[in-house]
Parts: sequence; structure tokens; C-alpha cells
Amino acid sequence: MAANKNLQYTLRYFDRIGVAEGSKLLLSAANVEWTEEHPEWPLEKPNQPFGRMPVLIEKHSNDKDFVICESGNIERYLARAYGFIPSDIRQAALQEQLRDQASDMFAAFISQLVAKSEEDRKENFAKFDGLLDKLVEVQTKQINANGNIGHMFGDRLSYADIVTYAFYKIIVVGMVKRQANIVNIVKPKLTPQLIKLITTVEANPLLASYTARGDSLAAIVTKPTPARL
Amino acid sequence: MLSGSDTVYVLRYFDLIGRAEGCRLLLTAANASWTEEHPEWPAEKANQPFERLPVLVERSNGDEWILCESLTIERYLARVFGFMPTDLKQAALQEQMVDQQADLAPAFMAQLMATDDMKSKQIDEFNTLLDRIVKEHGRILSRNSSKQHLFGDQLSYADISLYAFYKVYIVYLKIYQSNIDEIVKPKLTPEIINLILSIEKEPLLAPHLSKCDSMAAVLSSKAF
Repeated sequence: MAANKNLQYTLRYFDRIGVAEGSKLLLSAANVEWTEEHPEWPLEKPNQPFGRMPVLIEKHSNDKDFVICESGNIERYLARAYGFIPSDIRQAALQEQLRDQASDMFAAFISQLVAKSEEDRKENFAKFDGLLDKLVEVQTKQINANGNIGHMFGDRLSYADIVTYAFYKIIVVGMVKRQANIVNIVKPKLTPQLIKLITTVEANPLLASYTARGDSLAAIVTKPTPARL
Repeated sequence: MLSGSDTVYVLRYFDLIGRAEGCRLLLTAANASWTEEHPEWPAEKANQPFERLPVLVERSNGDEWILCESLTIERYLARVFGFMPTDLKQAALQEQMVDQQADLAPAFMAQLMATDDMKSKQIDEFNTLLDRIVKEHGRILSRNSSKQHLFGDQLSYADISLYAFYKVYIVYLKIYQSNIDEIVKPKLTPEIINLILSIEKEPLLAPHLSKCDSMAAVLSSKAF
């Protein structure tokens, strides 16, 4: 799809790999003109519509700006606008479900990360661990049902592929500074089907501009684990 | 309406308002054939696709189709039954409001469970977020010509979601925190109270709301 010169996007977020990652992937894949803004925080907090980020601003040359917030909402809007969510309502719901499930897992990850007492941390980690196992199970089942071709549904890059990739990237790449051992917790759980999906997403020509930014998730998940001596 | 007349729905959830009220109201407003199941918990946990509730089961022509995640279920039902605008931007504005409301749940739990040293900070965060949501409801309403609806002049997903939201934070969550209604009610403007009560009177919602306590008495109570 050729970029529409009358339309451009600004995505406001922190300069990190976080909940805006799915939106960055979608903006890249949509082949639209877009830029990232990293407002000084918390200085710029009152200047955002709801005191939070991410914020998406869609600018039209002939019309007023369209501004939306909430990471999942931004993703779904872009995914629908640019054809990454199917128009069939049931098929769309199955893709959205996968995002919400991955987001539940991420919320559980954050719970164990920020837990104050050792007792809370252990309890929250157990919840995260269990949810991650379940997520891997349902994701792998869907990939298998689709013939294990590196896509969740059909044979082209979809919203479901992107958000599956995004949430693993947030945890395995984005969060590693805050919890160094997370790679060794998540990586062994990734099935060959998920690894294939991750590498397929990253290799997609539509995401060439995104992948060129660096921080390859595929490199981390395919790197052989050193043998213990 | 995009669902056949022989389609029946089962909503699996606990016997609580909880996270399912939006789904119940949508199924009701749609005049869908639906029933509720309250699986024994945690005995039935492993039998759910993601070991969580709610779960929506849609049965038609001998086929069974299953969906999880409360907000995905809501958006699905809203689209199938015409309560979500087909215009992408209009839909995004309604979904934005719903997602903002959903942000309050972790903040509520955080202030409820906070240890003494964190309590005050978590309560502040909860109140800030709640104030922002109420302000946004007011802003959307002020921009709509009908004051009985958030968008347009007919019952929409946003209306249903707003009603469920205030029902959760004024009625339901009292089982966890008995003074929650005393915190929330004073923040409501007369316009928002009128909106809640207008939605409650929607004929499409009567089959479900006639079985529930009206919010009218709760909202007009001067005992706070």
C-alpha cells in the first residue's frame, strides 16, 4: 500500500520497548509516515489528553487531528485501518483475544516484578509462571491449527502475529534491564512453533524499517543456550 | 443484527456482577437467546480455554464457538449486535473510554491491598484515575446533543459500559471495600447521574435490570 502523503502519525511514548511496541510494529507494517515523540516525563504529563502514554495523533493535511489513547485501542484502530484485523467479526475477535491474553500475562509479570515482600514476589511469580505456560499452550495450539507456517491465522502478517511477537519482545528485550533472569525463564518455555512465528514476523519485508532499528528478538530466542559444563 | 435467530449463547462466569456485567447487558440489549452458567470453581478451571472466566459459548447450526477475555467478548457482542459504530474512528472513541475504565481495576486492587507505607500513595493514584474517568464521561456527554446517551441518540456500547462501570464501583465492590460508594458517589455530577438513570430505564435492558436492584435509590441516597 503506497503511503498517503496527506496523512501522518505521531506516536508519543517513553523511549523504551513497552506497551507501545505493538503500535510501532503496526505503523511500520502499514507503510505510513510516522514519527515517535518521547515527551519529557512527568513534565509533559498534563499536556496529554489523559495524563498517560501512549498517545496516537493522526494528522490530516485537510482536517483536524484525530487523537486516541490506550495501547490496545491504538493497536486495534491501526490494525483495522490498515487491514491487519480481518473484517469478519469472529475472526477479528479471535485475534483480539490473543492480545488480551498476552496482556494478562504481561500484567502478571509486572505484578511479580514490583512485589514488595518476598512472600508476595513468590506468590505473584507463581501466578505469572502459570499464566505464561497457559499462554504458550494456547498460542502453540493456534499456530499448529494454522499449519505451523509462522502465522497465527492465514498466510500473511496479521494483528495476532504482531501482538504475539510484541509481548515477547517487551518481556525478553524490554524488561531485561529490570529483571535480568527473565530471558532464562521465558526462553526455555518457547515452543519451536513460537520461535518460528517470531522469526517469521521479524523477517517480514513489511517490517524491514522496524527490524532495522535493532534489538532483534529472533536472535535472542534462536541463540543456542550454552551447554552447562 | 448479524447473528441467526437460532443462535444461542452461554455466558460462563461466577454468580457475581464482577467483570461480566457488560457482557450480560449486551446480550440482553441484543435480545439474544442466552443463559448463564456458574462453573464450580476451581474444579472447572482446567476445562476453560484459558483457565479464566468469563467465557462466551456461541452455538448455532450444531456448531460451538468459544471466546474468552471479558473486553474481547464485549467488543465482539457489540459488533455482532450493532452497538458498536461501524466507523473506525467512532468505534475507537468508544473503546478508548471502556479501556480507560478498565485501567481503574488494578488501581482499585492496589489501594485495597497496599501495606501501610504505600496506602496513601495508592489511594491518591486511584482517586486521580477515577477523577479522570468521571471527567471524561462528562466531557463526552457535554459534546453530545442527547443527554441520555454518550454518543448519538440510541443505546450504544459506551452507554452500556458506563452503566456497568458505575454499578461495579458503587454497588459490587462494596463486598471488598464497604466505603467505596462513599468515595465514588460524591464525584458524580447531576448530568452523569441522569445519564446512569436514563440508561437504566432503557427498555432493551429491562429483562436483565428488572432482576437487579435499581441504582436510582443508591444514587439519590443522601447518606454519605
